[in-house]
Amino acid sequence: MDSSSKQLQSPQSMNMQSRLLAHAPFLVACSMLVVIVAIYGSLQTGVFTIDEINLNTAAAMTLMLAATGQTIVLLRGGIDLSIGGMISLGTVIAATRFGEEPANILLWSAIILAIGFGIGALTGLLISVLRLQPFLVTLAGWSILNGIALMILPTDGGKVPEWWIGSGYLEFLGLGTPVWILLALIVFWCWFRATRLCTIIKATGSSEKSAFLSGVSITRINIITYGLSGFFAALASLYLTTQIGGGSPNIGTDYILPSVAAAIIGGVSLFGGRGHLFGTIVGAYILTLIGNLVFVLRVSSYWQPVMSGVILLLAVLASSYAEQKARKRGS
Amino acid sequence: MDIVQVKGLTKRFGGIVALDGADFSARLGEVHALLGENGAGKSTFIQILSGALTHDGGDILVDGQDYRPVNPDEALGRGIAAVFQELSLVPDLSVEQNIWFRREPRTWLRTVDVAQMRQQTLELFERYHFPSIATTREVRNLTLAERQIVEVAKGLAKDPRILILDEATSALPASEATWLLSLARQLADEGRLVIFISHRMGEVRAIADRVSVFRNGSTVATHDAAAVSDDQIVTEMIGRQLARLYPERVDTATDRVALQVRDFSSPPMLNGVNFDLREGEVLGVGGLQGHGQREMFQSLFGADKALGSITLWGKPVRFDTPRQALSGSEGIALVPEDRRGQGLLLSKSVRENLALPVIRRFSHFGLLDQRKETELVRETMKSLSIKADTPEQIAGTLSGGNQQKVIFGKMLMTQARVLLLYDPTRGVDVGTKGEIFQLMRQLASEGYAILFYSSDLPELVNVADRVMVLRSGRVARMLEGDDITEEEILRAAVFDSEAA
Ligand SMILES: Nc1ncnc2c1ncn2[C@@H]1O[C@H](COP(=O)(O)OP(=O)(O)OP(=O)(O)O)[C@@H](O)[C@H]1O
Ligand SMILES: [Mg+2]
Repeated sequence: MDSSSKQLQSPQSMNMQSRLLAHAPFLVACSMLVVIVAIYGSLQTGVFTIDEINLNTAAAMTLMLAATGQTIVLLRGGIDLSIGGMISLGTVIAATRFGEEPANILLWSAIILAIGFGIGALTGLLISVLRLQPFLVTLAGWSILNGIALMILPTDGGKVPEWWIGSGYLEFLGLGTPVWILLALIVFWCWFRATRLCTIIKATGSSEKSAFLSGVSITRINIITYGLSGFFAALASLYLTTQIGGGSPNIGTDYILPSVAAAIIGGVSLFGGRGHLFGTIVGAYILTLIGNLVFVLRVSSYWQPVMSGVILLLAVLASSYAEQKARKRGS
Repeated sequence: MDIVQVKGLTKRFGGIVALDGADFSARLGEVHALLGENGAGKSTFIQILSGALTHDGGDILVDGQDYRPVNPDEALGRGIAAVFQELSLVPDLSVEQNIWFRREPRTWLRTVDVAQMRQQTLELFERYHFPSIATTREVRNLTLAERQIVEVAKGLAKDPRILILDEATSALPASEATWLLSLARQLADEGRLVIFISHRMGEVRAIADRVSVFRNGSTVATHDAAAVSDDQIVTEMIGRQLARLYPERVDTATDRVALQVRDFSSPPMLNGVNFDLREGEVLGVGGLQGHGQREMFQSLFGADKALGSITLWGKPVRFDTPRQALSGSEGIALVPEDRRGQGLLLSKSVRENLALPVIRRFSHFGLLDQRKETELVRETMKSLSIKADTPEQIAGTLSGGNQQKVIFGKMLMTQARVLLLYDPTRGVDVGTKGEIFQLMRQLASEGYAILFYSSDLPELVNVADRVMVLRSGRVARMLEGDDITEEEILRAAVFDSEAA
C-alpha cells in the first residue's frame, strides 16, 4: 500500500508548455512590440539606432514611471486613478517652487516625492479604513489633486531652469538619461520582485482572504502599495518637467488610462496577483510607438487611440485565452 | 497544567450566536478531537484561538496567561497555528512560496533565498513523510487534496506548539488521510498539542486521546477517548439518539438505462470508460484518487471536454457546457468537488444560491413568483436541515457543512433526474450524513439515477447498489452484491484484475 501514497500528484511538475502558457500574455506583448518595430523600421530609416532608442525611451519614460506605480497597485488587486492628479500637481509645484538654486531644487524634488508617497499612503489608508472601492477613492483623489494643481497654477506655465531640463538629455556611453532611468527601473524590479514585500503584495491581490488568514495586515499593504504608486507618479512628474520645461495643471490626466493600459497589455492581471514590470515596460513602448507609427503612416492622428484600443483588446484576449488553456491543463 | 483553558467563550455574528459559553481545555502531548454538528461552532472556536476572529466574551488562558489575539501573527507568537477548513493558500503563489509565506529565508539583499527555501521545504516534507508534490507548482493548479496537504505543510512550517487541524482529512483520499492521522500522532508524541476536528468517527477513534463535544455553541462534555462509546458521542452531538447511519438497501433499480456511457475518454486521465447507470440505482464510484473520477464527473456534466458517447434516457446527447447538462428533467446535475469555486456563490444569499439556477421555474412572462420561490427554498432548506438564520443569510457565512448542504439542495432544485454526486457528504456531520443517504435512497426509489463518488469507503460499501472501481482512467472492476467490501474495492483499485 505504500506506493499508493505517491499516487497523489497529478502529471509531473510544470512542463515546457505550461511554462509558456503562464507567460503567454507577456510573450504576446513582446511579439506585438516586435511587429510594430518591424513595421516602423520598414517605413522609416534609422529606426535601429541608439539615437532612436534614446528618443523613444524619452517619449515613453513618463508613462513608464507612472505605470510602474500602477503595476504595483494592480498586482495588489487595486487601481490608482489619482496618479493623474499627482502628476499634474508635481509639475506645477516644481514649476512654481524650483527657482534656480540646485539645493532648493533638490529639496523641492524630495518634497514632491514625499507628497506623492504621503498622499498615496493616505489613499491606501482611506480605502482600508472606510472599506471603499479603490476605483472611487482614487477617482475622487484625482479630482481633488487636479483642483489643487489648478489653484497653484491655473494655466500652463511657470518654469524650471535650463540645467534641470538639460539633465533629462544627458548622455553617458551613448545612452541618454531616460535609458539609464529605464535600466535603473529594471534593476529595481529585479530586486523588488524577489523581496518578501512583493510576494505579499501579489498574494494580497491574488486572494485577500488567504493573505489575511496568513497574517497579512491589509491596511499596511494598502498604505504601502498606494504610497509607492504616488511616489512613482511624483517621479514621473519630475521627469515630465524636463520634457515640458514647466508646469501643466491638467497634463497628468493623459496618463491615467494609458498607465493601466500599458500594464494590462504587458500581461498584468486587472484582478491582481499576476504580472510584472517588464510586461508593463513593453506595454508602454507599444503605446508610445503606435504614436510614431501613426505619424509615419501619414494617417490622421485620431488613429492612435483606435489602434491602442485594438491592441489592448488583443492583449486581453490573449491573456484570457492563455488563462483558459492553463486552467484546463491545471485542473 | 493544561496549556489552553477556555471559559464561557461567546461569539455572535449580528443576530447569529455562533458560540454560547463554550468551555475547553487541552494539554501538550495529546490529540484532542473536537466533534459537533454542522454549525455547532467548531470552526468559529478555532478561528478565535488562531487569531482569525476575536471573541465577544469569556476568557482564554494560554500557559495560564490571558490570551486575546487580534491577528494570526499574534497567535503564532504564542505558538498556535491553524490549518483552516476553508484553505488559506494563495492561488497565484507556488507551493513553497505558500508554505513559507512571510517567513521566507532571505539573502543579504533582503530578497527571498529561493534555494534555501526549497531546501527547507524538502526537509520539512522528508521529516514528516509528506506525499510528494512538486514545490514549484502554482497552488491554483493543484487538486483540492494537494492543496490540503500544502496547507498542512504551511501550518507545520511554523513549528507551532499547538497545531489545529480543521477537517483537514475531509478533502483527502484514504491513503493520505491515514498519513495525516499518523502525522498528528507523531506531533503529539513530539510534545505538541493537536486539536483535531473531523466528522469521521473512525479517524477520531484512531488517534484522539480526548474528545470534546460541541453542540449549539457550547461544550456538552469532554471525555477520555478510551472511556466513551461512539453512540454516546453521537447522542451528545445531535442531542438525540441516531437511529442508524446507513439506510436499508432496497433494490429499486429497473431495467431502464438512464445513463449509458461508452468509450468515454479525455487522456491522460480518462481512457475509455464504459458503464450503464440504471433508473432507480445508486452506482458507486471508487478507486484511488487521481484515477479519473473527478475528470469523469466533470466531463459528464459538460464542464470539461471528453470524447465518447453518452446516452441519456435512450437519447444520445452531447454537453459542451453545464448549462446544457442542466436543462430540464432530461438533464444531469452535479454536486462538485470544489464547493467554493464551482458550487456556491459565496457572497449571495442561501435563497439566491438555491433559486438562481432554476429561476425560470418561478417566472411567468418575466415576472417572478416570489411566493412560490420562497416556499420551495424553505422546503429544501428544511428537508436538508440547512442551519441558516434566514434564507437571506449569505452563503459564505454558513458553516462548512451547511455550505455543502446548500449545494446539494441546489442540485435537487434543478429537476434533473440523473445526479452526479462527487463526495456529497464531505464535511457533513453524522446526523445529516444519515439524512443525505436516506434522501439518496428515496430519490432512487422515485426513479432518479445516481452516480456516487465518495472518498470514504464505508459509505460506498453501505450505500451503493454496485461499485465501479476506476484505475488509470478505466473501469478496473464492477463490484456487485456481496463482492462490495472495502477490501475488494481497495484490491481492485491497486492491483490488476480480470477486467484489466
Ligand atoms: N461570518 C459569519 N457571519 C454570520 N454567521 C456566521 C459567520 N461565521 C459563522 N457563522 C455562523 O456561526 C455558526 C457556527 O459556524 P461554524 O463554522 O463555527 O460551525 P462548525 O461547527 O465549524 O460547522 P461545520 O462542521 O459545518 O464546519 C453557524 O451557524 C454559521 O452560520
Ligand atoms: Mg467548520
